[in-house]
Amino acid sequence: MSTDENSLAYFGTFSTHSLYAMIKSRLSKGAKRVADSISKLTSLLFFRSYCLISVILLISQSVNGQELNPLDGDPRAARIGGSIFRAQCATCHGADAKGIDSIDAPDLTQIYVNSEASDSSVFNIIRNGVSGSIMPAHTFPETEIWMLVSYLRSVGVTGIAVEIGGSPEAGQLLFSQNCSTCHRRGSQGGALGPNLSRITQVRSLEALINSVRNPSASIARGYKPVSVTTEDNELMQGVIKREDAFSIQIMDTSQILRGFSKMSLRALAYEEESLMPVFSESALSNMELNDIVSFLQSSL
Amino acid sequence: MRKIIKNSELIIVSVLLCPLIVFGQSGDGPSYEDILNGFTDPGRWLTYSGDYSGRRHSPLTQITPENIDELRSIWTFQSGTTTRGRGWEATPLLDDGVLYITGSNNYAWALDARTGRPFWEYRRNLPDDLTYGASAPVNRGFGMLGNQLFMVTLDAHLMSFDRRSGEVLWERELADYQVGYSATMAPLILDNKVIVGISGGEYQTRGFIDAFDPVSGERIWRFNTIPGPGEPGSETWPVDPQVLAQGGGGTWMNGSFDPDLNLIYWGVGNPNPDYYDEKRPGDNLYTDSIVALDADSGELRWHYQFTPHDVNDWDSNHMPVLANVEWQGQPRRVVMVGNRNGFFYVLDRVTGEFLLGKPFTATTWAREIGEDGRPIVVNDGSLGCLPDPWGSTNFYPPTFFPGLDLFILTARETCATYVPEEPANTRGQSNFGGTVFIDTESGYGALRALDIHTGELEWEFRYPSPTFGGVMSTASGLVFAGDHEGNFMAFGAETGENLWHYQTGSRIWGAAAMTYMLDGIQYVMIPSGGTLTAFALRSPN
Repeated sequence: MSTDENSLAYFGTFSTHSLYAMIKSRLSKGAKRVADSISKLTSLLFFRSYCLISVILLISQSVNGQELNPLDGDPRAARIGGSIFRAQCATCHGADAKGIDSIDAPDLTQIYVNSEASDSSVFNIIRNGVSGSIMPAHTFPETEIWMLVSYLRSVGVTGIAVEIGGSPEAGQLLFSQNCSTCHRRGSQGGALGPNLSRITQVRSLEALINSVRNPSASIARGYKPVSVTTEDNELMQGVIKREDAFSIQIMDTSQILRGFSKMSLRALAYEEESLMPVFSESALSNMELNDIVSFLQSSL
Repeated sequence: MRKIIKNSELIIVSVLLCPLIVFGQSGDGPSYEDILNGFTDPGRWLTYSGDYSGRRHSPLTQITPENIDELRSIWTFQSGTTTRGRGWEATPLLDDGVLYITGSNNYAWALDARTGRPFWEYRRNLPDDLTYGASAPVNRGFGMLGNQLFMVTLDAHLMSFDRRSGEVLWERELADYQVGYSATMAPLILDNKVIVGISGGEYQTRGFIDAFDPVSGERIWRFNTIPGPGEPGSETWPVDPQVLAQGGGGTWMNGSFDPDLNLIYWGVGNPNPDYYDEKRPGDNLYTDSIVALDADSGELRWHYQFTPHDVNDWDSNHMPVLANVEWQGQPRRVVMVGNRNGFFYVLDRVTGEFLLGKPFTATTWAREIGEDGRPIVVNDGSLGCLPDPWGSTNFYPPTFFPGLDLFILTARETCATYVPEEPANTRGQSNFGGTVFIDTESGYGALRALDIHTGELEWEFRYPSPTFGGVMSTASGLVFAGDHEGNFMAFGAETGENLWHYQTGSRIWGAAAMTYMLDGIQYVMIPSGGTLTAFALRSPN
């Protein structure tokens, strides 16, 4: 799991009771039907996609270097791909495709925004596996792999689809006054908080507003707040980068990386409140926030 | 009465053991009798746990709680092969100053135990369409007899090597890997028998334990962990023979052995599919059980099922730990298991009688184990979370500390919600049969010491995250353990106080430490990531 801003969604908490009820009701509606129909639909789609693939291969194998998913745009492909995913991939990548940190299984909802991944490269990873890891090669029929690709496309995080309509220029100024001490955007800004260069591509407007108005509601790994009191009685605040049973690695509020032996500390307190200040509407109006988001969306 | 060896006794033991360092090494390799003698020769470690008991408790006493702060790394071997997502799970064997160890992706080496320098390296040319073997490309170690080594492979073969050259002497197919079979365990060597198990319980497989002739490579017997139609135990399954033929029940961790009873103790894995159970009503014997087999015939003498009708992937592939203890005033030969389902068990190993079952994690799965030995299940998963599919502990070895009568294991506190879904059931593809939602915020790990008479927690040391490292103890009162953050650590066995740690740089996953004497120096060794590191109080030079 990377420690950038994209970890936010992964580390949200949930109520297992409500989650179970939600999932159970969702799955029970059509789980069996879906499972039973996988083979039929697979055969049908395989034949269709075989024709499509042939046509595609004949005409043009790639667009801008990316092979096309022959099932692109077919909602059934993503749906069946989801069933295949739950059966074959979820054990390692999590039921929500957001990965499992303890076994180095990456968050697959991020692959299209955090890397140069294309449908064909995702296809090839599924088919060939990742050497030197527990990610195996898969002998699924090509159609089923494309269905998985369709599914991963469908669950991939999406940002703010529309232009917010604020003033990017005003937002740039507001960003430099309120945000850039801790947040990087492009080549400038701090490192205490997540890099926001691509945040509008991976977070909804609602999530962004919530993280500004109520920053302690969900704090990503890598940004959890901590207070330490050193041997010299110096009180220091920062965010936890890594931790083991004997040591802790933090970035302090001066944005200096510091490592401590826990034994050497007079006090170590895991805080609940994010180091990011709460920006209420009186401190930052909705219009000003719109301007900042517009700036983040812009190419300024 | 609680007692560990004190300093004056350490000196006597050390003096008595020293001559053994010199003799007992013929160059012909270990015999069955040598393995039977377990830790008698401190210059040897001849089987996965060091002896047949599975206790992983060494009599060595050079490294003590008093001097452990001088423990330092002596050498590191870099394997050049890793399994991202898991770890280096093997325990090396030692004889004549040579370590024999297997690695990920069916690599293997003979190493100079004084320097870590390799004598030879072996790499198996694996097929590119591995099934289960591709998703868990690990191996837990060699078996050794005479000048032969034995290793199982990810394409479900058993191989024999000449330990002097690493040359392959013979290989036999255990099962068809394309169905879903693989093999990862360390073979158990008995008198003219090589005992092996199989992996792949999520696939269309039927588990078994095999005995092979070490010289000819011929199979002597096979015990099927899933009964055939009409056989004892088949009444715990539906009558459909296809369900039985694909019932799972892997045997992917090696077992322990009682030479007096001539019984092998072996854990059996999950039923197939893991979570979806509508087509396999019943207890599904012998999944999630321990089986006691006659070593000569492979016949079942008794069994005990920890998790009847498992729907949580709680394989019981644990090292069964054997000890002779005073139990409620009477001498008992017991077998102990810390189980993936969250309970610690003590059974009579002559009869399989249930003696004790107590939870060692905060599981809500069962309120207790009834007097009849069956769990009183109160939460099938619909009443909040259960231990995740990796369980409250796993295959990585625990240790038993005699005298203190402590069973010390790595516990995992996790929270998962299971949602079953009918799987497609395709040959060569896994059939978990549903999905699991794991709360990644709340988990943690802990080294826990349990009083074997009560199951009560005597002490614990917590780790930041759920951990997969094994445990070893030494008679000097030390417990060695590894954690998910990469620390290799030593603790006082009586109190659990952390006395020493070393950051290895990669998680310690599946492996437990081993120890030996060489040139009067006690070494302790742990694999981590792609490296194997040896520690001692002083360098040989």
